[in-house]
Amino acid sequence: MPDLSFVFAQSLSGLTAAMFLFLIASGLSLIFGVLRVLNFAHGTFYMLGAYAAWQLVQWLGAGGWSFWLAVLGAASAVAIVGGLVERFLLRHLYAEDELYQLLFTYALVLVLSDVAKILWGTQQKGVARPPGLEGATTLLGATIPYYNLFIVALGLAIAGLFWYVLQRSRAGRFIRAAALDRETLGALGVNVGALYTGVFVLGSFLGGLGGALVTPVRTIVPGMDTEIIVEAFVVVVIGGLGSFWGTFLGALIYGQVLAFGILFFPRFSIFAVFALMAAVLMVRPWGLLGRPLK
Amino acid sequence: MLRVLTLFAVALFALPFNAQAQKPIKVGFPMILSGPGALFGEPALKGAQMYVEEINARGGVLGRKLELLPRDTKGNADEAVRVARELILKENVDFLVGTLTSAEGPAVSVVAKENKVVFIAAIPKTDQLTAPDKLHPYVFRVAATTTTEGRSAAEIVAKWPVTRVATISPDYAYGQDVTKAFVEHLKKLKPSVEIVDQQWPKLGEADYTPFINAQMAKKPEAVFSSLWGGHFVTFAKQAKPLGYFDGVKYNFIGVGEAASPESAKTMGKDYPVGIWGNTYDAFYWDGASAAHKDYTARLVKFLKDEQPSSWPIQGYISMQFLVEAIAKAKSIDADKVSAALRGLTVITPSGPMTIRASDHNATRGQLYGKTVMDPKFPFAILKPAQYVAPDGFMD
Repeated sequence: MPDLSFVFAQSLSGLTAAMFLFLIASGLSLIFGVLRVLNFAHGTFYMLGAYAAWQLVQWLGAGGWSFWLAVLGAASAVAIVGGLVERFLLRHLYAEDELYQLLFTYALVLVLSDVAKILWGTQQKGVARPPGLEGATTLLGATIPYYNLFIVALGLAIAGLFWYVLQRSRAGRFIRAAALDRETLGALGVNVGALYTGVFVLGSFLGGLGGALVTPVRTIVPGMDTEIIVEAFVVVVIGGLGSFWGTFLGALIYGQVLAFGILFFPRFSIFAVFALMAAVLMVRPWGLLGRPLK
Repeated sequence: MLRVLTLFAVALFALPFNAQAQKPIKVGFPMILSGPGALFGEPALKGAQMYVEEINARGGVLGRKLELLPRDTKGNADEAVRVARELILKENVDFLVGTLTSAEGPAVSVVAKENKVVFIAAIPKTDQLTAPDKLHPYVFRVAATTTTEGRSAAEIVAKWPVTRVATISPDYAYGQDVTKAFVEHLKKLKPSVEIVDQQWPKLGEADYTPFINAQMAKKPEAVFSSLWGGHFVTFAKQAKPLGYFDGVKYNFIGVGEAASPESAKTMGKDYPVGIWGNTYDAFYWDGASAAHKDYTARLVKFLKDEQPSSWPIQGYISMQFLVEAIAKAKSIDADKVSAALRGLTVITPSGPMTIRASDHNATRGQLYGKTVMDPKFPFAILKPAQYVAPDGFMD
């Protein structure tokens, strides 16, 4: 039987993985919840966020506040790209069959990944950990890097902020209403078009933010977009597409199942996660906290 | 008038004949030129292009120029087969050189066999490519193999004062095969070794932390890894602050080019300096021959990069073998070139290499060594970089 500090370390490593996934998958889930568009290009926004953060760090120079400025700048840049995509392209497809929207976002994946290749080439790139968060601390006998602690804290903070905005603010009420019944909301005089753009911008911002924040712990390389989108899909399928807390729960489960699954099935690291997803799909096809599609 | 017309007609017939003699030798080059694999595919193509440019400047081979026709395989075996067929049937290429992944190589090998076209695999390492039941007269390889790479690492680890050894490798053909070769050879060299843990993250895993923690809990004294390219960079970035490399006292060996100048550059000061790793080539190689120094100088000019990639050498050596075999065969006939390739020794920038007649594999070794920080560079280098020739343990 493994000792307690190992169990703690393992669950914390699962939690870190979960928070990264939550940051990325929440934008995907938000966009689906309101727009009912499954955005394949969300992983590509994540990749663009990573490249943009790298680019900004190059321009600003390493050290000081440059990493944080780069993260905010990168997420904002991706949000602008997302806004343009929704306003000028995706908007024309709402009346079409869902398949066209899916094909469109898939086309975006291909186009934007080539744009990224033209802009940044194929060489792998890396960003150093920001000053102050390079090292690690010891908690209950487990070594925890500061940056991982920061990501866990940030993930929880963003989850809390989201809950507050969705439940308590006027914009949040509109978003929840749009997710339930967009026609009625429009009939009540709310500008649904602007709301959609806003939600897409916010979702893209989260994707770009996730991409920018992973640069100190992952490699920036072409293909990182398609690697992450599969994991993000698993998370939202388990938790329930479009459900905010479902995404949070899905990410937590994904992280813990991965962390402890490899102890039991070392040869099949993702087996446990996919087995769980299959089980969820059989019992609740709309996910743990999702709602059935009409 | 009739005489003139006859002459004209004769000239017309003669023309294509003359053109035939000067027509370039066409070499199809299926390679990953988009997506994640382009990181290695593009520089490999550059190496082949540099060689072709140089040989053409010297008049080509058999008095004919070479023409390279690159095609993007998109890292997909089906697409590699499609472009290989297109190159043979539509472009009438005389040879195929290239491919990168261990899925593409064997797939294109089948096309080469069907069409009786000589194919030199530049980068695929899988043993399957030249396994006895898959071997045919037209397939050759100038890359290292999963057997030679795993065994080279075992030769090094066997000399370390450790017995508790762990492995971490991506869970697909390459990772499994190279790890198996490592474990088997290490146990043969040092029977006291115990494999205490094996982690198999999926290829492209984004978060290695759970795997790293699980491995550390087994308290290995040394680790073998075959996480390659960007996967290694991600892994190492996450492992370093967890104290993983300190835990094994830097008795860590990363194959799959974990110590390539590209990966070292990506990580800069974040690199776990002190670990062992390998690479196909290193522009800074201190023990290099004059031929390698000359090659590097030409490559720097060709790529306009003072610190060129380690991948062009694979494209370069592939073309070197092809051209020298054509010269030896005095023909571009596939059977004659195939015969010439078997047993052919070429002085490559990495040293002399022979394509073995028995399994059509070149005796391709790699550079291994311990990584250190050198004040001359802002990233870790192998010092000394030692070329491990696999000749002694290929069978």
